[in-house]
Amino acid sequence: MSTQTPTQTEESSETDAEADAPSKGDERRDEKRRRAAEERARRQAEEAEKAAADEETVELKVFRYDPEVEGKQEPRFDTFHVPFTKGMTVLDALMYSRDTYDSSLTFRHSCRQAVCGSDAMFVNGGQKLACKTQISELEEPIRVEPLPHAEVRKDLVVDMEHFYDQMEAVEPYFQTNEYPDGELEEQRQTRENREKIKMSTRCIWCSACMSSCNIAAGDNEYLGPAAINKAYRFAMDEREGEDIKQKRLEIIEQEHGVWRCQTQFSCTEVCPKDIPLTEHIQELKREAVKNNLKFW
Amino acid sequence: MSQSYNRGLIEDFSRWREFEAGMWAWIFHKFTGWVLIGYLFTHIAVLSTAIPAANGATMMFQGSETDVFTGTIVSLEGLLLVRILEVGLLAVAVFHMLNGTRLLLVDLGIGLEAQDKSFYASLILTGAITVASVPTFIAGAF
Amino acid sequence: MAERYSSFKSGGRMWLLQRVTAAFLLVVLAFHFFLLHFVHHADEVTLAASSARMEQLSYYSLMVLFLVTATFHGVNGVYNALINQGLTGTKRTVVKWTLVAASVVLLFQGIRTANAWAGGFPL
Repeated sequence: MSTQTPTQTEESSETDAEADAPSKGDERRDEKRRRAAEERARRQAEEAEKAAADEETVELKVFRYDPEVEGKQEPRFDTFHVPFTKGMTVLDALMYSRDTYDSSLTFRHSCRQAVCGSDAMFVNGGQKLACKTQISELEEPIRVEPLPHAEVRKDLVVDMEHFYDQMEAVEPYFQTNEYPDGELEEQRQTRENREKIKMSTRCIWCSACMSSCNIAAGDNEYLGPAAINKAYRFAMDEREGEDIKQKRLEIIEQEHGVWRCQTQFSCTEVCPKDIPLTEHIQELKREAVKNNLKFW
Repeated sequence: MSQSYNRGLIEDFSRWREFEAGMWAWIFHKFTGWVLIGYLFTHIAVLSTAIPAANGATMMFQGSETDVFTGTIVSLEGLLLVRILEVGLLAVAVFHMLNGTRLLLVDLGIGLEAQDKSFYASLILTGAITVASVPTFIAGAF
Repeated sequence: MAERYSSFKSGGRMWLLQRVTAAFLLVVLAFHFFLLHFVHHADEVTLAASSARMEQLSYYSLMVLFLVTATFHGVNGVYNALINQGLTGTKRTVVKWTLVAASVVLLFQGIRTANAWAGGFPL
């Protein structure tokens, strides 16, 4: 089920195999493919030459792995030289590398403006959003790896399933059983309350925090910073009402909920949306303790 | 789906250069914690010599008959190595206490923006207190 | 909601206890170090001096409370560190009861020592 474009060597062996029973159509397609390959090789050589001649190039070392391609089953680093342009991000450089040198280079990306949360990666030893990380601010060579503490599927793509499971465990959607009186009345939130949860609503589910968390790495059951922040976003939203808040606190005060947080601040340091994750987790801990200290 | 690749712990240990203050604080706190609980067990074991001593058990110490508790403690304290280890213990305890104070404040939601600075402060203060205590701890060992 | 009272989930109660003992230990450990290294020097310890201190009920109870909180704080800290590293299942149960047993031995021996100094419970 690989959708990957075959590499050069595989392509030629394919051509040999097909030569056994050539039809007119096959020959034409072969010819077309051959010319395309030639064209590509020519362009690659040209680009590489240009990159080498150009003084302003950046060196990228990119993690490569593909269980379905022989020769890539053993993880390795590939080097790409990319001509630097002002304002270039790590994502730009990766896209250039993919479009110019190796179309099999795989990574997730979509909006390119730090909104979709697809392209969290491990850049020079830190969890970064590739689209909002400036090349000019990095030391060369730039090492680009998939997020740590997650299974690598291919190149820079990791399995996000566990992260999504943890997010869903906190029921990340608005719930309430307290409605305003009038049927067409809006559910209003005070300005103060909106300010309180403002930062927590910014999460884009990129999983950089989860990847940076030393405890989440060891304890697989730990909810993790993103999920707890999501719980905070709703538990602190006064429109949900007291009953739902109790339910939310019961989720986060489980043994592998907030109590596992060791306040290392790793998540807060890496969050591309600057969410004060540790602060939110700590507030939920206090909230849970207070909630349980009610003796009356 | 097909296979995937587990990179295991490589990034935990190989990237110590990139650790931030909060991570170092956690590592040091954990290390000093292990040392302190280890010490608590040995401490009680050594002090237990008071039990036979209270029942009249004695030993020869510096040519005279001494009770086993006093004899054990004083002869241990006479060793330079023990004195140096004690200075180390003080450093470990002081750091654990200062960083513990920092963690209590963090738990109360106080000064979270300055958590890195408070870690550096506890390191420096630990150093200062340890150095200042060396004369008292080493006195009479030579 | 009305029937919810003081129903700490284990995680939350231990978390709070770890903090409360921390605050207590902070003060008592500082006192302990100060008294036995700066006021009295460690190499001048004698059985008689220790006994004299321990015979006072206030000092005796402070030291026993010190032992209890320190044991809890330390052993619970070790247990938490192991849980954080992903200790689960049978291994976890074994480790838990081993730690509990070690704590009991430590407390027993510690109180026995305190009683030896004080010549029985000081009243």
